[in-house]
Amino acid sequence: MLDAIVGGLVVLLTPQAMAFLLIGVVYGLMIGILPGLGGIVALALLLPFTYGFEVAATLALLLGGHIGTIWGSSVTSILFNVPGAAKSLALCFDGYPMTKRGEATRALGASAMGALLGGVFGAVFLAISIPIVRPIMLALGPSEYLMMAVWGLTIIATFSEGSLLKGMIAAVLGVLIAFIGMDIVTATPRFTFDSEFLMDGVSFPVAMIGMFAIAEMMKLYVKGGAIVDRSVVKETSTVLDGVRDAFRHWGLVMRSSLLGLWIGVLPGVGASVGGLAAYAQAAQTSKNPDQFGKGNVEGVIAPDATLGANEGGGLMPTLAFGIPGGEGMAILLVAFIGLGIVPGPEMLTKNLDLVFSMVWLVVLANLLVTLIGLGVAPYLARLPTLHPNVMVPLVLSVCLIGAFATRGLIEDVIVAVGFGILGYFMDKYHYSRANFVIGMVLATMIERNLHISLTLYGDYFIFTRPVTLAMFVFIIITTALPFIRSRRRRRAQREAISAQRAEGRAT
Amino acid sequence: MKTRTKWLIAVMAASLVGGFAGQAAAQKSDYYKDKVVNLIIAGSPSGGHSRYARLIAPYLQKHLGASELRISNMRGGGGLKAANHMWRVKPDGMTVAFGNASTLIFAPIAGSKGAKFIATEFAFLGRATSEPRMLMVGGKSSIKTFQDLQKLDRPFIYPSQGTDEDFYTMAILSDALGFKLKAVTGYEGNADTALAVIKGDGDGHITGWSESQAAIKSGDKRPILVVTSQRIPDYPDVPTAIELASAGKRGMLEAMSNILETHRSYYAPPKTNPEAVAAFRAAVDAALNDPALLAESKKGNRPVSFMNGNQQQAAIEQIARESGGLAPVLKAAVKAIQ
Repeated sequence: MLDAIVGGLVVLLTPQAMAFLLIGVVYGLMIGILPGLGGIVALALLLPFTYGFEVAATLALLLGGHIGTIWGSSVTSILFNVPGAAKSLALCFDGYPMTKRGEATRALGASAMGALLGGVFGAVFLAISIPIVRPIMLALGPSEYLMMAVWGLTIIATFSEGSLLKGMIAAVLGVLIAFIGMDIVTATPRFTFDSEFLMDGVSFPVAMIGMFAIAEMMKLYVKGGAIVDRSVVKETSTVLDGVRDAFRHWGLVMRSSLLGLWIGVLPGVGASVGGLAAYAQAAQTSKNPDQFGKGNVEGVIAPDATLGANEGGGLMPTLAFGIPGGEGMAILLVAFIGLGIVPGPEMLTKNLDLVFSMVWLVVLANLLVTLIGLGVAPYLARLPTLHPNVMVPLVLSVCLIGAFATRGLIEDVIVAVGFGILGYFMDKYHYSRANFVIGMVLATMIERNLHISLTLYGDYFIFTRPVTLAMFVFIIITTALPFIRSRRRRRAQREAISAQRAEGRAT
Repeated sequence: MKTRTKWLIAVMAASLVGGFAGQAAAQKSDYYKDKVVNLIIAGSPSGGHSRYARLIAPYLQKHLGASELRISNMRGGGGLKAANHMWRVKPDGMTVAFGNASTLIFAPIAGSKGAKFIATEFAFLGRATSEPRMLMVGGKSSIKTFQDLQKLDRPFIYPSQGTDEDFYTMAILSDALGFKLKAVTGYEGNADTALAVIKGDGDGHITGWSESQAAIKSGDKRPILVVTSQRIPDYPDVPTAIELASAGKRGMLEAMSNILETHRSYYAPPKTNPEAVAAFRAAVDAALNDPALLAESKKGNRPVSFMNGNQQQAAIEQIARESGGLAPVLKAAVKAIQ
């Protein structure tokens, strides 16, 4: 295996491969910054240029481009509350509040460093777990995916500050929106009003562009003034603060990377769930859970680390079974076949050095992204200080073009605007938009896996499948723990008070 | 026997018509010269249709003489969305779709609410490829041959994405070859269903031959039945569905495999300008016989199997007439999952 690790790296050290990696990363960063366009578009556009070069260079170009988009998407989430892609949505929750507080540079630094550490940890874990990937993939099925989604739901509580009822209403609204379109089980049109456009449902990235970006621009216009007014809020942070943050929370980075790796490995659990799950996990394990959603740097590090590690994980089903884990990977597979690489279990034995080349590429691409990111972060952080007369039209036009570009449909622009208005009022009346998103993402995952589990394993599948049962118990415990803890604390306080009183009376 | 003869006549007639039209088209038309042609791929950018459409595109553009061939992807409803769109497009021949013709035929027969078109009224412009399709079971499954499947004392569990052409195929197989079927719908994609089969959650599924090659080689999957009309040289022992059918059911399976073999094709809206149709068919003909394309297709392991547009049109009309008998089976299958 050591030979393969070294061999994989040596192949990459050619001028052509390195140049292609750089081109891929820069291109990916640019695509990522545009809302609505993400890794899939980046890869699809690169594909025609991949014929006739050496294998390492082609892989460098493709993987570099794919990885560049991830951090590119995080940038706009942090600076403008505009998710560059659906999966970087979780970065909006704490990244944008940090920007508003004058810590944009720190947030960008933490995000870039989180992505790098996630990428590196992900690669290391990947290398270690190669022998167990197949058994684990075969052990987990729809009922376990269902439990993961249910666990994701528990995060609704985190965002329901003030009123749990309002939080629930927002989440249910998200679920209802997700149900628009052809039902995934019986192919019956639901809530489509005979409209052909609605048959495919509401596109998630488009809804997010509206809900966050357009709503934010409306808010900015109504409020007046820039997102960050330097005469009021000084930029107090540096990139190094962010880098330090990432290293200080190394436990969080490790957990998030592992999570990202396995979410990548499992087909059927998408990266947009990954970002949210990372966030949920960060909030649940944090020492300051009440700071989440208000600009806690942990909420920035965790999703980026997860997304960084996710890429390496996504390679696994593609390589081990020849089954692409996601659409981005499906495009990579097309390129593999074009290059004469036949994916399958042999990849993990005979062609192991090629696998390690890819793992190295993930690491190197992340390193490049982070270096570039740390370099440009202070300049990017100035963008939110732009006057709204420049900012609002600029961001709005990019958003509307992005909404159109996701599927090339003009109806999507209307949908984005509709969600913009909805998002504006939800924010104004304190209905959590984050809960809406969680409902929308998890609804389909829950419906799909609940149905499959019931048909395959019967009505009592939770109790007949040991792994599912263990996960179920885990969910109950992690959800109940904060309540038990606070009750114990209260009881201890009460006892202390009555003890004091008793003491007072005695004396 | 009766259907057999009818088929024979149809194919002969079709090739005759095809032959004449082929000659007519040989006079090169300038209809598309220096024009911009839009090609809509009915599927995602990562799917098989895209792969083929993009492989052929440069050659098609050359033989059309078009100044540009603009490719876009329209996914949704397993190709139905693009078909519905094509149904309403201006029939000047400047917008052409590339997708799975068998979906166009199956969906209306099954009474799918998503299909808002009549398949035979589209102008079919030529088939690029038709890949053999097979029924696969998991490598560790107790089912080793199709006979094992028929002897099964429980329903055959079939993980499925929904009502696509493989779902319809499975329903017809179960009816014609006499085995009980339990379709589990709701899976997200091919990766998901393939893993379910390898894992043993499901018994088997239908895929294109090339798609499962790696899995067969590694022992993760085993082919037990060919659902298209001919045995595959790489797996000479795997029977075709038609061979195994009783005389009474054979016609049904022939209709099915004929539908499946219409596969990846170009098509234009109804009442498309005949001059455009002739010019496009000629260009598809020339492109798919271009030695440079053939070399590239061989190198990239993406085999083409061309069928002339005129021939295809006649064949599809014939298929649609013959396959009315499938309707009750397909409708029952859709009902079973609802």
